[in-house]
Amino acid sequence: MRRMETRVRPNSPEFRAAAAEMEATVKRFHEIQDRTRHARPQRDIDRLRRQNKLLVRERLTLLLDPGTPFLEFSSLAANDLYDGEAPGANVITGVGVISGREVVVHADDSSNKGGAWYPMTVPKIVRALQFALQNNVPVVHLCDSAGGYLEDMAQVFAPGGRVFRNQCMLSKRGIPQLALVLGHCTAGGAYVPALCEHTIIVRDSGAIFLGGPPLVKAATGEEVSVNDLGGADMHTSISGTGDYPVSSEQEGIALAREIVATFPRKPRAFDWAEPEAPYYDARELYGIVPTDYRIRFDMREVIARIVDGSRFHEYQPNYGTTLVTGYARIWGCKVGILGNNGVLFNDSSLKAAHFIQLCNQTGTPLIFLQNTTGYMIGREYEERGITKDGAKMLMAQAGSEVPKITVLTSGAFGAGYYGMCGRAWDPRLIMSWPASQMGVMGPEQAARTLGDVKLAQMRRENPDLPDVAVQELRDRVRAKAANETSAYWYTSRLYDDGIIDPVDTRNMLGIVLSCAAGVTPAAPGYGVFRM
Amino acid sequence: MRRTLEVDGEKIAIWLASTGGAHVVHCDDGRELPCRLLPGPGRGGHVLELGGQSYPLRLAVGEDATFVHLDGRTWRVGRTDLAQTLGGAADGAALDVLAAPMPGVVISVAVAPGQEVAEGQPLMVIESMKLETTLTARRAGVVAEVPFVRGDAFDSRVVLVRMEPRKEGM
Amino acid sequence: MTVSKLLVANRGEIAARILRTARAQGLGTAVLRHGAEQTGPAHLIADEIVEIDGPTPVAAYLETAQIVAAAQRIGANAVHPGYGFLAENAALVRALDAAGITFVGPTAEVIDLMGDKVRARAFVEDRGFPVAPSAIEDDDPATFVERARTVGYPLLIKPSAGGGGKGMRIVRDDAALVPEIETARREGQRYFGDGRLFVERYIERPRHIEVQVMGDGRGHVVHFWERECSIQRRFQKIIEETPSPALNPEQRLEICETAADIARAVNYRGAGTVEFIYAPDGAFYFLEMNTRLQVEHPVTEMVTGRDLVADQLRIAAGEPFDVAQGDVRQDGHSIELRICAEDPADDFRPAIGPILLLDEPRGEGVRVDSGLLEGSAVTTDFDPMLAKVIVHGRDRAEAIARARGAVRDYVLLGVKTNADYLDAILAHPGFTAGEVSTGFLAEEAEALRERPDAARNNVLIAATALSDSRLVAEVESVPAIYRKMGAWRN
Repeated sequence: MRRMETRVRPNSPEFRAAAAEMEATVKRFHEIQDRTRHARPQRDIDRLRRQNKLLVRERLTLLLDPGTPFLEFSSLAANDLYDGEAPGANVITGVGVISGREVVVHADDSSNKGGAWYPMTVPKIVRALQFALQNNVPVVHLCDSAGGYLEDMAQVFAPGGRVFRNQCMLSKRGIPQLALVLGHCTAGGAYVPALCEHTIIVRDSGAIFLGGPPLVKAATGEEVSVNDLGGADMHTSISGTGDYPVSSEQEGIALAREIVATFPRKPRAFDWAEPEAPYYDARELYGIVPTDYRIRFDMREVIARIVDGSRFHEYQPNYGTTLVTGYARIWGCKVGILGNNGVLFNDSSLKAAHFIQLCNQTGTPLIFLQNTTGYMIGREYEERGITKDGAKMLMAQAGSEVPKITVLTSGAFGAGYYGMCGRAWDPRLIMSWPASQMGVMGPEQAARTLGDVKLAQMRRENPDLPDVAVQELRDRVRAKAANETSAYWYTSRLYDDGIIDPVDTRNMLGIVLSCAAGVTPAAPGYGVFRM
Repeated sequence: MRRTLEVDGEKIAIWLASTGGAHVVHCDDGRELPCRLLPGPGRGGHVLELGGQSYPLRLAVGEDATFVHLDGRTWRVGRTDLAQTLGGAADGAALDVLAAPMPGVVISVAVAPGQEVAEGQPLMVIESMKLETTLTARRAGVVAEVPFVRGDAFDSRVVLVRMEPRKEGM
Repeated sequence: MTVSKLLVANRGEIAARILRTARAQGLGTAVLRHGAEQTGPAHLIADEIVEIDGPTPVAAYLETAQIVAAAQRIGANAVHPGYGFLAENAALVRALDAAGITFVGPTAEVIDLMGDKVRARAFVEDRGFPVAPSAIEDDDPATFVERARTVGYPLLIKPSAGGGGKGMRIVRDDAALVPEIETARREGQRYFGDGRLFVERYIERPRHIEVQVMGDGRGHVVHFWERECSIQRRFQKIIEETPSPALNPEQRLEICETAADIARAVNYRGAGTVEFIYAPDGAFYFLEMNTRLQVEHPVTEMVTGRDLVADQLRIAAGEPFDVAQGDVRQDGHSIELRICAEDPADDFRPAIGPILLLDEPRGEGVRVDSGLLEGSAVTTDFDPMLAKVIVHGRDRAEAIARARGAVRDYVLLGVKTNADYLDAILAHPGFTAGEVSTGFLAEEAEALRERPDAARNNVLIAATALSDSRLVAEVESVPAIYRKMGAWRN
């Protein structure tokens, strides 16, 4: 594989201006993320200290191997919901390294509302468990939650069952789970530890019961203490719901690490070589990808700053040129990359379908770098069957046995978002860059279309609509559209697995590939159809 | 991969990182020591490369300390692995509750709440399935509760004797 | 008086050292051993090992009847007591005499005389040899306190039955005299079973100088010159040397001849040492006579070229001992360092542990008398002294340089020792100038303390971490991709 050439001139004024804008956007993202992760009311921190509890990120520091990475999923889940009362949806999920093994971590964040599960908490946990299922990765649960958030219980209840169902499926597939009970596991929450292969309960803080003492008293009149009803000793010596009682969180975490050290190691699929850092500086991505999705850039320049040695073997370089396809290595793993370089035409759609089949034939994971405004429209393209060709692309992509990972770099609109492995198409992970935007159509277009419809409506009712009212309507619609195409809006609702700084993309891909290597892809059903 | 070392009277928490050929020792006070340990001459001989210098030394690894002969002097570096002391430790409080292995009857009770008992001291005698069993204290301590008296019948897994939680220094 | 099979009633380094000479002389050899005792070099040298028992390991070595019975049982016709234990025990001598077994040492009478510090002192004083002003309680218990006062301050209260520097108390002013006497009496009773005391003028800044003597018990006594043992910590010698840098040739001759005369006065048989206090003004006073081979005898051997144990064995066998005084010369300078299992950084608390690695220094002018084997362990069963490092040089400077080299090359890993402390003393300008007294170590305690060194601590930390194979394995068990990414967070 040859090193890619670059046409980027990092010292040019245009580049610097673009980089400055993107850096400001990224900086804003980090500020929001830091606040979401760390800002908590002092009284909540004081309460935890009084209860002898560690903060959730302190627990993670002790739990994870020092000097190893942690990829956090959906850090900004629920960022614009519930009046901001549930930062990160009150839970931390992600994949890290414990005793030398990759582990999916689900940790309740009791520093906010006692770690109560809001409606958005459920899909976040479900997603993490699904990642574990798809990639055969063990799970550690740090349980410390007040249970479902009572006001919104109706929205938590039905979907919530999927958490426990996924736990059962993990166990069925032989993927071990460990629960460290550091707080109360009440009602539904009691099933998290009960469905794990290994359960550790911290004396005097941890407890498991279907109903807590107040509920029991109200229901049957029985008066019983937390410890007697569901404490560490009761469950580990009488009921058998728990396995190990410990006297402190530190002890529990040390024991958890010891147990994880006994989990079997998986053999590694895919083609791995010695990793090599990219030749070009990843920080140049800030100047390459604009904050406005309407401005074009060459996706090859992005690829050059993500892959090993900036080496890329382009496939069919002269055909279907609005889609770049080719092979590279990321952290040593050989991957097939598809990246948008314009609108998807018939030939680029066919090229995608063809390339996807090739990668399935060789068991090569697929990386989708999205920057699409969709498939081409117009009579010529319809006659050539643009929808049919798009369908081929979807069929090949959906039927892939190899893992797929998606990155939204800039624009992600229309069916192109689907074709390039959007959320619903089961990428192992899908993450967005801070300035990326997605939706059925671009916000201006959406604003114009919706505005026109609404305006017509309003004019029918009031023929003398003043200009200022028109302007106010257009502004309102534009703001709504802009908001509902922003990465923050999507990430809040778990339509992706988190927003990520462009320079962190390479590490994210490496970690996901390493996890995905735990499952050998099945052979494809057919040989390759040359499209 | 954390340890606590004791050097020259000071305790230092460290963790070790490896980046292929070399290691880095990270200390809790922020010190980072990129280093390599190579074999050297003599029994127990090594060469430590640190900060661009080579230090020939002799060392021997003991149970909970490592001894280093460096530059004509001998040093003892204590090593503690918290995970070993915490993670696998037999959990004392589990011995606090004696539960009935199966339904039965209390034949006799030898202790009362508040009484101090020694490890192995008989606490009560029960009968189940024509088998008499003497329950003994699993550790020294103070009896907190004995819910049943002679002649009482009990169910399986019911708590027959509870001990006061172990106090520091017991 | 055949000496053909020798039982060494001792252990550790001295047992090994005696056995070496005995074997070189063609004798059959045996040594005692307690069941709980670690294997040492003596056990590998002796032809036979005799098991002894007792309430404690040390007690076993003090059981006269058991030892005599052992000697008889194995057919030993001679017993060498080493030093310490029963080396100056007249009862052992008598029991061996009764059993027809040769005791390698002086007669029971001489042991009795010199073992009683009060009697010994009186004996020596009566014959005109110099002794420090003193008052002996036994002379007249009623006036003891008054007579003690006339000795003058500062004075030293000593237990009559004591020895080896134990149980002594310094009194500097009159107010403390009576309380200190009472304390000393209690301690004498407790440690030696005898509360009798005597009081001696305490010489400020004294030097401890002793003379090696050897007699054949038939009137012929020679001295093998002096040793200086002023480097003492809490009255325990840790560095000894010969010749003493404090003496000019006249002083040396005077002190050595005095010692030889004292030994002649008792028709001394065997090896013995006469100890003196040497005052800054050049006066010297008899302290005590040790009727045994001393720990620090090797320095005398290094400068005179003699094997003192060989001399002892010949004398014990009744062979002629016709060494002329003129034949005994001091050639060069020798220093001995006592390696003890103790932690100087922790107030010299006795240390224990397994001997993980032992590498004793070798080379020109270096001798190591060791009681250690790699793989055994140091326990609290016996005295903390493990080995002696003895060097010889053409002059004092060379001897000091060799001593420093040897102690720095002394590698014992697994137990803390005072080796570093010994090196610090050798490096001290006061020692190199030869200007010391018995208070030197106490006065210079701060200067001899190890200094912290951050760079050195980093080396120790790194070496310890990287030699912890379990730790390294834990780290290596992390997949390479994660190790290379390091502590990254998104």
